[in-house]
Amino acid sequence: MRVARQPLWTAAFLAPSVALIGVFVLVPIGLTLWLSLHEWSTATPFGEASWVGLDNFKALFEGAIVGRDFRQSWRNTFVYAGLSIALILPLSVVLGIIIQRSTIRGRTVLRTVLFATYTIPMIAVAIVWSKLYSPSEGPINEALGWFGIAPQPWLSDTSTALVSLVFLNVWQQLGYFTVLVVAGLTQISPSVFEAAALDGARTLKLHAYVTIPLLRRTLLFCVVIALINAIQVFEPVVAITQGGPVGSTNVLTYHIRQVGIERSQGGLASAMAVMLLLSLMVVVTLVFALARRAEDR
Amino acid sequence: MTAGRLASRTSLYAFALLVCVVTAFPVLWMVATSLKTPSEALQSPPVWIPGSPTLEAYGQVGDVIDVGRSFLNSALIATITTAGILVTSLLAGYVFAKYRFRGRNALFALLIATMFLPPIVTLIPLFRIVGQLGIDGSLAGVIVPNLANAFGIFLMRQFIAGVPDELIEAARLDGASELRIVFSIVAPVVLPALAALALFAFVYHWNSYLWPLTVLQGNEDHAPIVLSLARLLTYTGSAQNTPIVMAGATLAVLPPLLLFVVLQRFFVNTMARTGLSG
Repeated sequence: MRVARQPLWTAAFLAPSVALIGVFVLVPIGLTLWLSLHEWSTATPFGEASWVGLDNFKALFEGAIVGRDFRQSWRNTFVYAGLSIALILPLSVVLGIIIQRSTIRGRTVLRTVLFATYTIPMIAVAIVWSKLYSPSEGPINEALGWFGIAPQPWLSDTSTALVSLVFLNVWQQLGYFTVLVVAGLTQISPSVFEAAALDGARTLKLHAYVTIPLLRRTLLFCVVIALINAIQVFEPVVAITQGGPVGSTNVLTYHIRQVGIERSQGGLASAMAVMLLLSLMVVVTLVFALARRAEDR
Repeated sequence: MTAGRLASRTSLYAFALLVCVVTAFPVLWMVATSLKTPSEALQSPPVWIPGSPTLEAYGQVGDVIDVGRSFLNSALIATITTAGILVTSLLAGYVFAKYRFRGRNALFALLIATMFLPPIVTLIPLFRIVGQLGIDGSLAGVIVPNLANAFGIFLMRQFIAGVPDELIEAARLDGASELRIVFSIVAPVVLPALAALALFAFVYHWNSYLWPLTVLQGNEDHAPIVLSLARLLTYTGSAQNTPIVMAGATLAVLPPLLLFVVLQRFFVNTMARTGLSG
């Protein structure tokens, strides 16, 4: 390019973004790392923090209540994320294929209805679902009764509360991922499908052996985004379950905020945030490694 | 059409219909319940369709929360944040797409990496920083940290890269300043992308909950509708008040949902182009 070097304009145009992202994202990341090695009350200036080395991290791995609560919320978060992905991924592939490849009528309506839920504020979703789940006046248990299924305790029992939140998440996010799959399918040349069909491949086989392998990159991307979205689950917990019953829906975003903001234990909460970030990086690396191995095969 | 093919088409339709019903049901239930009388809301088994629909619950929402104020706060937060994101993303996107400078790729990678960061990782120091700046508990505290984001920069760079260099070069020869080129030459060409970014940003910041809750520290005067909605829930706990909560939820859901229904093509096309949102 001819006049590509514009040092003054470069600086001027980048300044707002770099300053804002720097001060409100990059500096806080550094501070989270730094604070995780300190004892610090969130109500005091950063200068008040006192060095404790790895004590915060030790507390997270030890048996006392601090560690137990953290490990429970860590487990809940990743179970929630895993279950969400396990439901979202196959459903969005099937629905994406129906919307993009099938010839049934009303496909656009299906897409519109599915995606619309993604624009609804999570707090509203949480409130509506808390009423749907209501054991006595709730329509879900009523509808289950029509098929002879016993009423479920949903949000009020330790064994079902987390799964109930997973369903709510899947309901809200499915349309978004379906549209991502549709976008991935449009990248595949139609001639691939024609060639496969000419070879006499039946629909199911066609999709299992042709479509899904070609969607690999899209699916990998979906898994990573679904994971990061799942880790952010917050509104249903803060507004409906408060982490209960008995900590069964205590998840990391909620727990870290409780410790760091509500209880002002900024250092300890920062150590939890660092553990979350590390876990996320490990899981994402594993997902990529698995995907590469599947590709090599 | 063979019998097997007919059967598979029928089951395809049945599955698609089932998905539509399950997906639409919670929203329909929300609206239906907002029209119920308190006694209908108490009934078990539940009333599916209100016998004598009433708008009474909508009036009662205002007894618990300041609806007008909450909507104004949400509108201010979403609109100002969106406007800021559009400007900062356009400028930075232009630089990354069209300028050459040392460290460009490294800086771009650093900014983009923040796109995948769960907000909780930075929440605690961010809360303190905003407190030190003296803008906690205010709308400025909600808005200012979000005026630039990596997704916007990424999106704008993708689209501006497709703007022909000749167009920019010709404007330069005519003596247009770089600022003028960005706003009167580049921006009109990437208008669809700007519109899509505006939609995503508006909906995202209308719905956003964690940050306003944290930074406002219970200051109800500045609470957006999503926070007021949670308060509505706590103040109307018993089942007979469910219509009031559902009326509030219906009101809160309307702006982003209507925006989507009217402009959904922008959402879907942008996602197809970039495979991203947020």
